[in-house]
Parts: sequence; structure tokens; C-alpha cells
Amino acid sequence: MNAVSPRAVRHFEPPTTLSGWLVARRFQLARRITQAGVLLLFAGTAAWGWKLAGAPLLAGNLSAATLAGSVPLVDPFAVLQMLAAGRVPESTALGGALLVLAAYLVAGGRAFCAWACPMNLVTDAAHAMRQRVGGRDLVHLSPSMRYWALGLALVLSALTGLAAFEWVSPIAMLHRELLFGAGLGLTAAAAIFLLDAFVAKRAWCGHLCPLGAFWSVAGRAGLTKVAFSDAACTRCGDCVRACPEPRVLDFKNCAARGFVAAGECTNCGECIAVCPEKALRFDLLARAPRPDPFRRKEKPHETHPARSSSPRSPRSPSRRSPRRFPTRSSA
Amino acid sequence: MAASRRQFLARSAQGAAGAACAGLAWFSLLRQEAHAAPFALRPPGARPAGDFEALCVKCGQCVRACPYPTLKLAPAAAGIPLGTPYFVPREEPCHLCEDIPCAKACPTGALDKALDRVDRARMGLAVVDAENCLSWQGLRCEVCYRVCPVKGRAITVDPHPRGISKHAVFVPVVHAQDCTGCGLCEKACPTQVAAIRVVDPRLVQGRIGEHFRRPATTRDAGLAEASPESAPAAPTAAPMKPSAAPSSLPGPQAPTGKAVDYLNAPVEGL
Amino acid sequence: MTSLTRRAFIKSSVATATAATVGFPVSQVALAQARKAEAGWAWDKAVCRFCGTGCGIQVATAGGKIVATKGDPAAPVNKGLNCIKGYFNGKILYGADRLTQPLMRMKDGKFDKKGDFAPVTWKAAMDEMEKQFRRAYQEKGPSGVSIIGSGQYTIQEGYVAAKLMKAGFRSNNIDPNARHCMASAVAAFMQTFGVDEPANVYDDIELADTVVLWGANMAEAHPVLWSRVTDRRLVAKATKVVNVTTYRNMSSDLSDLEIVIKPSTDLALQNWIAREIVARGAMNKAFVEKHCVFATGPYDIGYGMRPTSKFAYEAEKDIQAKELVVTLDKYEAVGQRRKVGEQVEQKSRTSAGRHWLISFEEFKRGVEPYTLDFVAELCKGDPDEPLAKFKEKLEQLLQLMIDPKRNVISFWTMGFNQHQRGVWVNEQCYMIHLLLGKHATPGNAAFSLTGQPSACGTAREVGTFAHRLPADMVVDNPAHRALTEKTWKLPAKTLNPKPGSDIMGILRDIEDGGVKFLWVQVTNPFQSSPNANHWIKAARETDSFIVVADCYPTLSGKVADLVLPAAMIFEKWGAYGNAERRTQMWRQQVDPPGEARTDVWMMLEFAKRFRLKEVWGEKALPGLKVEGYADGRLPDVLAEAKALGYDPEATLYDVLFARPENKAFAWPDPVAKGKANSTVKALGENWFVEKALFEEYAQFGRGHHDLAPFDLYYRDDVRGLRWPVVNGKETKYRFLEGHAPYAKAGARFDFYGPARKALPTGDLDKVTDAKPPSLAGKAKIFFRPYAAPVEQPDANYDLWLCTGRILEHWHTGSMTRRVAELNRSAPTALLYMHPADAEKRGIKRNDVVWIESRRGKLKLVVDTKGRNAMPKGSVFAAFFDEALLVNKLALDAVDPISRESDFKKCAVKVTKA
Repeated sequence: MNAVSPRAVRHFEPPTTLSGWLVARRFQLARRITQAGVLLLFAGTAAWGWKLAGAPLLAGNLSAATLAGSVPLVDPFAVLQMLAAGRVPESTALGGALLVLAAYLVAGGRAFCAWACPMNLVTDAAHAMRQRVGGRDLVHLSPSMRYWALGLALVLSALTGLAAFEWVSPIAMLHRELLFGAGLGLTAAAAIFLLDAFVAKRAWCGHLCPLGAFWSVAGRAGLTKVAFSDAACTRCGDCVRACPEPRVLDFKNCAARGFVAAGECTNCGECIAVCPEKALRFDLLARAPRPDPFRRKEKPHETHPARSSSPRSPRSPSRRSPRRFPTRSSA
Repeated sequence: MAASRRQFLARSAQGAAGAACAGLAWFSLLRQEAHAAPFALRPPGARPAGDFEALCVKCGQCVRACPYPTLKLAPAAAGIPLGTPYFVPREEPCHLCEDIPCAKACPTGALDKALDRVDRARMGLAVVDAENCLSWQGLRCEVCYRVCPVKGRAITVDPHPRGISKHAVFVPVVHAQDCTGCGLCEKACPTQVAAIRVVDPRLVQGRIGEHFRRPATTRDAGLAEASPESAPAAPTAAPMKPSAAPSSLPGPQAPTGKAVDYLNAPVEGL
Repeated sequence: MTSLTRRAFIKSSVATATAATVGFPVSQVALAQARKAEAGWAWDKAVCRFCGTGCGIQVATAGGKIVATKGDPAAPVNKGLNCIKGYFNGKILYGADRLTQPLMRMKDGKFDKKGDFAPVTWKAAMDEMEKQFRRAYQEKGPSGVSIIGSGQYTIQEGYVAAKLMKAGFRSNNIDPNARHCMASAVAAFMQTFGVDEPANVYDDIELADTVVLWGANMAEAHPVLWSRVTDRRLVAKATKVVNVTTYRNMSSDLSDLEIVIKPSTDLALQNWIAREIVARGAMNKAFVEKHCVFATGPYDIGYGMRPTSKFAYEAEKDIQAKELVVTLDKYEAVGQRRKVGEQVEQKSRTSAGRHWLISFEEFKRGVEPYTLDFVAELCKGDPDEPLAKFKEKLEQLLQLMIDPKRNVISFWTMGFNQHQRGVWVNEQCYMIHLLLGKHATPGNAAFSLTGQPSACGTAREVGTFAHRLPADMVVDNPAHRALTEKTWKLPAKTLNPKPGSDIMGILRDIEDGGVKFLWVQVTNPFQSSPNANHWIKAARETDSFIVVADCYPTLSGKVADLVLPAAMIFEKWGAYGNAERRTQMWRQQVDPPGEARTDVWMMLEFAKRFRLKEVWGEKALPGLKVEGYADGRLPDVLAEAKALGYDPEATLYDVLFARPENKAFAWPDPVAKGKANSTVKALGENWFVEKALFEEYAQFGRGHHDLAPFDLYYRDDVRGLRWPVVNGKETKYRFLEGHAPYAKAGARFDFYGPARKALPTGDLDKVTDAKPPSLAGKAKIFFRPYAAPVEQPDANYDLWLCTGRILEHWHTGSMTRRVAELNRSAPTALLYMHPADAEKRGIKRNDVVWIESRRGKLKLVVDTKGRNAMPKGSVFAAFFDEALLVNKLALDAVDPISRESDFKKCAVKVTKA
């Protein structure tokens, strides 16, 4: 096991070729494609009358939709709020919610946030802007605030008899405005862009969104996870810097479980894309107990003096090294 | 440990207070928003106000199912809860599709699929502004009567002698028990601003006391014969209750309480 | 007491109490505000542009625009009221797409039949028109040119058009759209009374006890008149209204009795009434013996279709073949006293108007087969109605008519007139009223309503029909021609003695190449005429030249070669005559927009381009065979013209219009009160064209049909006058002693009409004695049998289609569809259908369907709950919608006597689109 010579800690190299760039951005591109695709399916059905088997292809929006005129798809969080409000929606809605829930359980809970939610485009754009212009957080937000928001949404639903978050959800507003031209969505998106870009890093998706919180809770039971090879990992920290979520990549936990277990993980794949050692990858059945899924014989170096010397990504000089998730070398 | 425990408690309290603060703001926003408009014309089969707002997920599937450019999702500042489906009859009324595709498309039941016949929809109530209605002025218009899809029931034309010349005046009269509130009349009204409009029935409808029964008239008899399905609901068989005394009104106090107390009370001047 | 329909008026409703306040609740404050807002407005009296009711209106102008209109409170017809079309009289002028310059089909800078429309100058337009007219006139003679005119012509327009065509070009190919509207009524008036137009007036409504509507949806088609009927119904409790119709319409709402019959069975129904009148001794013997004679005519008269299948579509050929031979069905066999299945050659196709006197006994024999059982089975139009109930209703109708204590008015319009036996069915109504002696007295009338604002005043009285001359005269009467030639100062035999082509004839002539030039004025025949696919194609694909003068681009404009921008009603001086003989005039209120011109100006300018030598020489006239004329030729009259002092080089303008006596009417004239005259201005002359032409025309009526002097109609206290106006006094009842100035004294009635009074005598089937007895002062009671419609629903085309008007739109919608409010009220034509018929075809309300006849198909939206409730087996669609040419589905069969088309019955099928 220790016969292998120690390896140098490598870092993610920004690509220099187009193919390299495509490889490095493959998940981001794929996510953009699915995000746009979802919008396009809705918009195509609405504007150009796309059909499947004679029925509208995908009617409605992300709150509730009908696929091919027969398969109901309903936001389970919206249904949960209705139930909290003391209203039992029709079985169509209940069934549609279960269907969506099941689908995202397979895809991994918060996959919604990274792969379908239109607001992700906004917050990613805000983040890119933030990285370009720099700046410190104006306020400190706790990532657990979203759970308060989730709780509040349910409590307020019960108090007001209305699906509380649905009435103020900037995500639903944005999607409605894009599809129906009905109000305030772009305003809400602009507000969130400004919030994320200038007030606090990843403020909306990473700290506040109760819908994200809902999917975080659901995501704990998700099937598709990012598998982690402790053997391959050099603890270079590139993945941590790439991760949009504050508390997701915890090497200790990851090493112990063999996958990224945090419910907040959006399966965005950015960590996989930047890992120079290919220590991370998607795995549908990552949570099934197996030996090292990467089948690597080599143990990674326990320590390496160079680890702590280059904590910063050249592309984000202002970025601080992840305090809460120290590498083993610093432990 | 004690310090950190206190710190934890303090932070928790801070968090809770913050949440409560946000919650209160959110709460008031909800109340404001959900009750922004006392009345909006909803698609046929919409549940009563309150239930409808709670169940509607604003997915717009009813809008997509509507074969006319009638239904829209409320934009901001329309005075109607954001994102909920509604229509403005003067722009495009509800055409009362016999298969009610909008209600069928609703996944949550905010629109009631149990609505089996579209002329049983009750979206609002048409009212005529007699002062500006051309027919009331004696002109032969009656466009509202002719476009009414529940023609001869929801709107009838009652001719009356004009008096000042040997002409009749054809007065359109709306019958609430059959008016669907579809707004076809409001759209078609040829005056500059429609002289017939669909409004919240609660704003214009009174109710005759339940202790009183209207004697049958020719019209009632005729309507019952013609459209039994649209006959008013059977009156409730509740026992007659004493009226609540309007005690807050100035003037002589209405008798309250027990008769014996009144009789035993001192008489002024004795 | 007959049972009230569900929607009938009910006196116990809450609204009754409020009705006391109905009217014009105008407060002092509101009046003061109105006065302030209206400062600087000039109000003047005028006439409503739309229907034959003839409502008076007031028009306000300011800054060269019409700013408001109102119903004229002083107008006796409407007393300040309007219908919803009349409400928009001011707005029809200001549609965004008014035509303001001539548009001609051009390619490479010159006219080309295949070119696209481009603006041209008036001179270029008139040059091409002149060239094309000359081409047609030289090639085909007077029968190769034509005008389709209108019952919406002003009197002066109709007069100029008729005189230009008949006296100038010696062509009788001028026919108004009124041919589609009330030609049957005209023919029936002439055959029955020898003189045209109603004997009674609207005031009779207020005296009636029974009002019967025969194929007249007055509630929509004569809206304000209907409110008079309704008022009578409400005020006089005993008055009853009966609606005899082929479907439930808005007039049923107020009717005490609604009788739904099958199309064309009104012929049988009326014969039953006549039979019962005689059988029950209800006949007014004294009246009939003193004032009436009995008559009949041939039955084998065809259906006014072409005798050849040369131009027919394949699908049309089976119906077209019936023009020559008809197989009698079981009802016709009984009604015509023949055998079922008998093949009857239609021998009297070309002499359909021939008739002869019969005895009363023969008349009785004629109506004898029309028993209640026979008629009820034949007529009942609603399959769901029990036969016994229907019979009961017929009996009620009979009682309401024959009761000697009841005054009875029968109103009819297009249900009777647009009928393959329209003249017969009109005459049958007179038959009933004359048998009862209930005609031409206060409160008793068989009253033919007219559809258009001047169908009476212009189309009929002025004589813009292909067979007519002014004042009831006809071209095939030598005395009438001579009188007209004298009045017009024409050489003898200038006028063409051969009746010209009626509207359907002109359209067919274009298709078969007989007519090469058509000028369409104030109408839209390519949208309104039946079977229009033929005529539209013919207009575009033959070498004809079609000019359309109109105020807006219409379908007729689309198929034309030259479109001329016309002035609208209040942009010119004019006069209309309504259905009660009331002549009303208005001043020009505003100038026409852009280069739009009055139709009178267009015709006068056109007349300037032709000289006598071109038109009054010998002319070929194929088919002419009249005593005193060489076969097929109109004589050269130039020599006599010279003798009359005319220079062969003189223009038609000089000879026919700008005559010295006409030019004596100077413009400006005090009667104008400062208003402009766009005709005179554009002509650049100083004579008052409209006044001169009216006074010239009025000469024709002196002594029988008298019109008042022009200026009298403009007096502030006059709201139209009902002719004859003798010694300044208008006439309410014609023929009735004490009212009618020309009724001879001593007999109470004098049916003094001179036409068709020299008749042979015979039995029901033939003439037996050719010697005419004296019929002076007598009206004719015709026996006319039942005849089945030539096209009836069958297994393939399984529904009846009826087309017609709606209250919101006028005819083809060219004006009313420019009013956004009316367009919003009734944006599109709907197909009214019985819900069960719809369900059977898998159709729901608001579904789009194909409707198809042998002549074409189109897509319509279905309404099963709308204004008209159809019986099973029938559908209705309105023809106002330019996007949905409903009339192209209709059969172009016409009444063989009146040549009026039948829009009320043809066979169609409906399938889900």
C-alpha cells in the first residue's frame, strides 16, 4: 500500500485548447442545455404548439405541468405547502408531486437546483460577475437560514391558508414571466442577481431559498450522488473552491461515506470537472456500500508539504481557503 | 462550555427573532397580496375566493388550455394576485366552451372539474348601467341580449311603452340565477364604455329575508318550467331566528334581553 | 288568450316599475354641460343611412367633420330613436380605409387586367373607362354594357344613372340591388293593383288588432318600426302579434303566436286561409264583388335558372336540369290538381308573368285541395312540434285574421320576396286581405316592407330596374316610352323597348361574354349575390371591364378593374324614399375626403365623353322583336334629333343633364343655408344639379305620383312627405276615398292602378276568351298554387340554409364593419343550428365547421344558443361578413316573374372542420 512513491499535488489547470475547455466545462454546458431545454419545452409547447402523441408536449410551468397531455408533474414543495395550509389538492396534483419527487430522488434531490431551476442561470451569472469584480460580503448569511425559511413557509401556509412560498417565489415568478409574460419575474431575478453579486456570495441558492432547502432535505435520500475516491484525492481543494455550496464538500465525511453525502449538494458536477485526479464522479448507486468505487490500488499521500502552499486559485485571488473544511495536512 | 452554551442560546434567539421578523414581513405580504383585489374574473369552475387562491399553483395550464385569448396570468400591479389566472371581459370574454378545457387542465382542483355544464359557472354577475344603456334610452340595441350564451334566461328583454311616443323601450334585464359572468355582453356592448359590466355579485346583490317567501310570479313560473336546472337552491329549512338588534344605531334603543327585565326596570319619572 | 312564450314580455317583473323613468332622463346640469360642449356645432336634419324604415336623424358638424348625430325627436317615424346601426351614422364616414383616390389595375404604367391596383388620376381613370366602355359598346351594342345600381342610391343618383343608360346609351342593362330585395313585391303590386308601392302608412300600426309577420324578422331588420309594433302590442291589450317564420327569431320574443313552417309552404298556408275564408263565409262579398276580380296564371314557369348546363359545376347539374322539366312531388300534385310523379315541362319559363281572369267558382276550385290536414302536414316546420298543436296554431291565426272586428296588418319582407315564387306569395297575401276587405283602410293593410333606405324612393319610383322607366312606367309599353321620350325631349324610338338584364342576368352575361362593361354603384354584388363563385371568377377571367364606385374597399372592389372613390351619404345632397312613400331630403354636411366624388359627378363627367352621333345611330340589339322596330336593331334617331335642335356633336351631358331649363336652377341656392355642394364644386359649374334633376324627375309623377317641390322638403318643420303630395298635402291611404286624391268619388275604394288591366278570361288552367273586359278600378285576387322549392335537402345535402341580415350590420358590412363598436358587437357571421343537429354531427357550440352546398363551401363557427333558434334540419347564417361569403352557397334560382333571387332556401351539408 505504501509502495507507491509520493505524488505531487496537482491543481486544476485552466484549459488552453477548445477541447480542453469543453471538457472542463462539460457539466456546466450540460446544465445550461438542460436548463434551456426545460424552458424550451415549455415555451415551445406554449408558443409553437409542440405536440407529443397529439397532445401538448409540456404544458404549464415549473409549478405544475402536464407532459404529453397525460402525465402530471407538480412541484412537491407547492403541494406540501397546500397540505400545510389545510387544503388537499386533487389527486392529479398529489400524483404529479410524487412523480416529480421520485424523479428527483433518482436524480439526486437538489439536481433540480442545478439542472432545471431558471434562477440558477441568474445566480451563476451573479457569481461570475462577483468573481470578476471581487468584493466582500456585505452581510453574513448562514447557510442554514434556508431551513428557517422552509419552516416559515410551512408555518405561514398553515397560518394564512395559502401556499406561502408559492405566492412570493421569485423562481415561479421568473418562470411565469418567461413563459406567460406575467409580471415581476425579471424584477425578482434582477434583485437576486444584485443580492448574489454584491451583497453576499451565493446568497440565494446557497443560503436563503426555501425550495432549495426542501430539495436539500429530499436530497439526503437521493440516489445519484458524487462518488468520492479517498485514494485518488490529493486534497488539493480545487473542488471545494469550485463548489457553489458552502458546506457540501467535507473530505472527512466524504472519505468515510465514499460519496458527497450532504443534502445541499446540487449534483452540479463542477467539482468533478475541476478535479485533476478524477477523484470525483457521478454514481447512481454511490450510496451502496462497496469498496473503493474507483478501484484504485494506490493510496494517496497522507500528507504533502505543498498542499497548503497553494490554496488560492489563480482565477479567484480574493477567495479565501475553506476554513471549515481543512485539508488533512492542516489537520 | 457555559459561555459557548450561552452564546449558542443567544445566537438561537437571534435567529428566531430574525426568522420571526422575516416571517412577519412575509405574512403581511401574503395577506396584502392574496387579498389585493376583492374580485377578479376567474375561469369557469373556480373555487370560491380563498379556496381558489390556496389551491392555485399559477401554473398557467388553464391559460394554455383556453382556445381563446381570454385567460391570462395576472401581471404585477394588475390589482389581482400575481400570477393567478383571470380575464378582462371587455378585452376578451369567456366563450363558455362546452367542454370547459380550462377546468380540465387544472392539476390542483383550484378549478373544479365537477362543473359538468359550463352554463352553471358563476364567474361574476352582469349589471346594466341604465343611465348609459342605449336600450334603456329607447334605442334598438339589445346587443347584450343577443350575444348572451344563456340567451333568454340570463338576460331577457322586457319591452315597455315609451310613453313620450308610440314606441316601445326594450329594457335588458339580467337574471342573477342564470348569469354566468362570462362577459360576452360586456365585450359586445357598443357604448364607448360598456354599459353592462360583470362585477362581484356580492357588491350588488341583496338578499330577501329568509322569513319571507316571494309569491310566485309569471316570470318565476315560466323560468322554472323552462330551466329546472337553473332554479334557485331550495330554501334552507332553518327556523326563524330573532333579528340581531342594531343596538349601535343612534335613536331609540331596540328592545334587548328578556321581556321581564324590561318590565321590571324602573320607569323614568316615577 | 293565447299562451305567452317564455321570453315574452311580462308585466309583473320588477323592471316594470322602473320603466316609468325610461326615456331621456336629462338633468338641467347635464343639459347645460352639453350646451357648453356643443358650442360651435351646427345641427341639421338628415336621414338614417340604413334600412327602409326611414328614421330621421340630426347631424352635427364642426370643423368640416361630423361630430355627433342623434335621432330626430321631430321625425314622425322614429321620434328621436335609432337602432344600433343608426346610432353610428356619424362614424361610418370615418373608417381608416376610406377610398380617397381612383385605383386601377396597372402594369408597366398602363391598365392591365392582370395588374395590381395602383392610384391613378381621375382623368386616367375616366380615360380608361371611356375606352373600355367604347370597346364593349362597339362590339356588343347597348346590351354589352351595364350598371348595377342600388336601393341606396339617392333619388338623384338613380335618376342620372337610369337616364344616362336608357336615354343616352339606349341600354336597359341597369338594375339595382333592390332586385335582390323587393322585386317580387313590385311585380305583385303591379299585377294586383296596377300600380307600385304600399297603400298604407306606418300609422296603421297604432290601429292594428292583429299584426302578422310573414317571413319578416322586423325585430332585427326594421328595428325602430318594430318598437312601434311592440308599443301597440303593450298598450292595446287585445292586439296580437303572429310570427310566421321558418325559424324562431327575435320577433318571436314578442309574438303571441309563433308558427314555424317549412320553406316555401307559405304558398299552401295562405291558400288554406283563403279556402277557409270562403268556406266559413268570412269573405267580404260586397267588397270583393265591387272592387275585385279573380285571376290566375301558368304554373310551369321554371325557376329562373339558366336553361343550359354549359356553365354549371358538375354538382349543380341535377338542380339546373329542373329548370326545364320538373317531376311533381306529392304535395305539388295535390296543390296543382295533378298526378304525383308527373313530368312537367316548364313551358311558360319566358312568359311567367302572363295571367288571365277566372271566375270565383274557378278560384274556389283552386283553393279547394288546401285542407287543414293537407296543409298542416306539408307546412309544419318544427319536426318536434305535435301536428295537433300546429293545427291549433293555424286555427288561431285564421281566427285572428278573419274576425270582422279586428284590424289586420300583414308585414313581410325577404321571406316572401326572396322566394322562387315570390310574386305568387305576395299576391296570396293580397288575396287574403282583399277577400276580407281588409286593405288600404286605416289599420288594415297587406304591407310590403322594404329593406333599403330608398328601394321605394329611388329603385322603384325613379325606375332603375332593367324593365322600368320613371313613375311606374315600363320599357315594353309603347305609350310609356312615348311619354318618357316626350318628357326627356328625346327623338321617338330612342328608348330601347326590350327589358334589359336583371342583376343575375348581368352577372350571367359577364360569365358567358354577353356583357363586357359593368359599372357597380352603391352596392357590393359580388358579395351579396347568390352563387357568387361563378361571378367572381367571371369578373377576373373574362375580358370584361368592371368599375366599382364605393366608399370603402369591398369584395366587389377586389374583383374589379377600376375602383372609384365615392362620397358617402352626408358628403352629398340627396333624397331617400322609405317604405311608407315618405320622401326625405338632406343637405351635404361635410366634404368628401381626398379625391372622393359623388356618384352623380362621376356619371355626369362620363356623360361628357360621349356624343350623340355615337349613341343615337342605329344599334344592333340581338333578340329584339317588337312591333315598330326592325328585328334585332334599334333605329337611327339622329335625324329626328337634329329636327329637335340637337347637334350630333353635342355630348350626353349637354343633352340629358345640363339642359337650359336645368341650368336655370342656380347654385348657390338659399335652401342650402351655406352648406356646400361637392358635385357642383367638382363640376366647376354654377347650376344646382341635385335640385334641377329632382324637379325634372318630379314631372313624371304629376297627376298620380306627385312629389312636393324640392325646397319644401328642406323646410325646417318638414320631416319628409308621403306622396302623392297634392296641394301641399301628403297622402296616407291610397285607393281609399277621402284620403287618396286620385280615387274616384262614390265607390269608397278605387284601385286605380292602370297597369296590367287588359286581360283575357279563362279557367284555372288556360285562357278561354281572349277579349278583355273592363277592369278599371279593380284589384285582382290571384289563385296561385303551392310549388316546391327547386332544391331541397336530400341524403347528401341534408339541411336547409337560409341567409339574411342581423341588427348590428348593414348588408355586406362595408360601412358597419368599419365601426369598431359594431364590429366588436358582432365580429363574425355564425352558423345557427339546432343543438341536436350539431350533436348528431359531433359538433359543439363554437366549433368550426365546413358548410357546403353544390356551389361552394366555407368554414363557419357554430352557435346553437344564439339569436336564432333553428328547427331541426335548418341552419341560418348572415351575409355581412366579407371573410365568410355565405351567399356564395346560395342557389341562384330566381322568381321567374320578378327575377328576384331566393336566399332563403337551398340545401347544404355541415361537417366538423
